[in-house]
Amino acid sequence: MADTVPPGRYSGKRDIRTDAVNYAIELGAIEKTFAGHQVLKKVSLRVKQGEVCSIIGPSGAGKSTLLRCVNLLEQPDGGNMVVAGQYLAAGRSHPRRELLQLRRNVGMVFQSFNLFPHLTVLENIVLPQRRVLKLSAEEARERGAELLKRVGLAEKADAYPAKISGGQQQRVAIARALALEPKVMLFDEPTSALDPELAQEVLAVMKEVAASGMTMLVVTHEMGFARTIGDHLVVMEDGAIIEQGVPEEVMTNPSEERTRKFLSAVNR
Amino acid sequence: MIALQTNTFEFWAKYFPQLLAGLGVSLQLTALALLFGLPLGLLLALGTEAKLRAVRWLSVAVVEVGRGAPALVVLYVVYFGLPLLSWSPEAFICAVIGLTYTTAAYTSEYLRGGLKAVNPGSVEAAHALAMTSGDVLRFVVIPQGLRVAVPALMGFAIQIFQATSLAYSITVSELTANASGIASSSFRALEIFALAGLMYAAITVPTSWLTNKVEERLTLRQ
Ligand SMILES: Nc1ncnc2c1ncn2[C@@H]1O[C@H](COP(=O)(O)OP(=O)(O)OP(=O)(O)O)[C@@H](O)[C@H]1O
Ligand SMILES: [Mg+2]
Repeated sequence: MADTVPPGRYSGKRDIRTDAVNYAIELGAIEKTFAGHQVLKKVSLRVKQGEVCSIIGPSGAGKSTLLRCVNLLEQPDGGNMVVAGQYLAAGRSHPRRELLQLRRNVGMVFQSFNLFPHLTVLENIVLPQRRVLKLSAEEARERGAELLKRVGLAEKADAYPAKISGGQQQRVAIARALALEPKVMLFDEPTSALDPELAQEVLAVMKEVAASGMTMLVVTHEMGFARTIGDHLVVMEDGAIIEQGVPEEVMTNPSEERTRKFLSAVNR
Repeated sequence: MIALQTNTFEFWAKYFPQLLAGLGVSLQLTALALLFGLPLGLLLALGTEAKLRAVRWLSVAVVEVGRGAPALVVLYVVYFGLPLLSWSPEAFICAVIGLTYTTAAYTSEYLRGGLKAVNPGSVEAAHALAMTSGDVLRFVVIPQGLRVAVPALMGFAIQIFQATSLAYSITVSELTANASGIASSSFRALEIFALAGLMYAAITVPTSWLTNKVEERLTLRQ
């Protein structure tokens, strides 16, 4: 699994795929080094259209870095990838148009919510629609209100982020990302900063998003979510994928000793 | 001797219109210095964080000279320097230019502090939402940074208002200049400067109070 994505399948216009295999994300031998420390060691991963892929693993394994490479918040040093049909190779700087196109297709939800603190909940969702999708104020507000209803926060539209709970902020962050109608959603430990009760509200929203057919790549410590909602489970350690497969099987019968150790540490 | 003179209130009433005209000039100087100085200060703040080293160094130099030189010296340099470049604007314009420079240099530091305080997670989220770098700056970084800097900027506005009295030294007829003129013709310096002081205070005291209120409001929202 250390191969790069074969470029042959992307003829003509380089970023339009021509074959029939429907992977929403294909990572080919992604490498990333920080100050001499190799954080990602040729990581290859495929996520099918509409699939929920969970990534677990100990702290420092490189899970966040991998996720951040997918929307190029972090520039990989090696490898290539195809994300939502767009081909991207490492080792060259990406033109702005390419970067913005990728990020329009890829939504991201962060552990620390990262709402715009100076804007109300509704304005948080309106701003990217106005600036990125170029929607009218009216249309953006209408869609924003609908999305808030979808995540159960219609009544918080005019509140500032600091005035609502962490669970509510994270649901707003999900709504904000969904507003751009992404083809892929990345979640980096979306519930780690939350009390269990608040985490449940967020997980319920994520479950609904998954049910709507969204392709999701989720770094999480929520084994319940990975098991019941996830279609695929990836275990990372020390910059590499050490095991992957059907969540239930990996969890109950891991083939790697290191996976077993990690799972028993988490389940304790 | 006092008995021969009109009493203080009559004296004040007589010269109040003249001082009021001076106060008007002081307020105009303040408004123009802020109007031109704040955007320049923002540019300098962004410049000191720029990727290009030349831009960074130039910005830092402009800021350090502006903060290092006393506002009075800046006024003199403008007033006596511009004619050497064969442009001799009237004193009021020179005062606006000098005070604008001082404003830009000082406010750039407050604005830079504000920009530094911007929540980096929200900036990253904006990039992840496919916003252009320009939009991230305009809609996420600058508005947040400005909010942080507002109390300091309001405090500075009070200081630059007081510093407009320095324009007296380059012959601008602002409040202090007018008071001084009246003092030397009437020989009642203490009384006229007391009135001038009260008039300065009539502006600065409510503004300070407002600054505190704004600061409270902004802290509450965080
Ligand atoms: N910007 C950076 N500069 C330098 N080192 C970094 C940077 N980002 C991550 N690292 C390092 O890369 C390694 C992997 O980090 P990463 O955040 O991807 O791990 P993780 O699996 O997400 O861990 P956690 O569960 O703690 O979030 C760590 O050793 C970390 O210190
Ligand atoms: Mg992480």
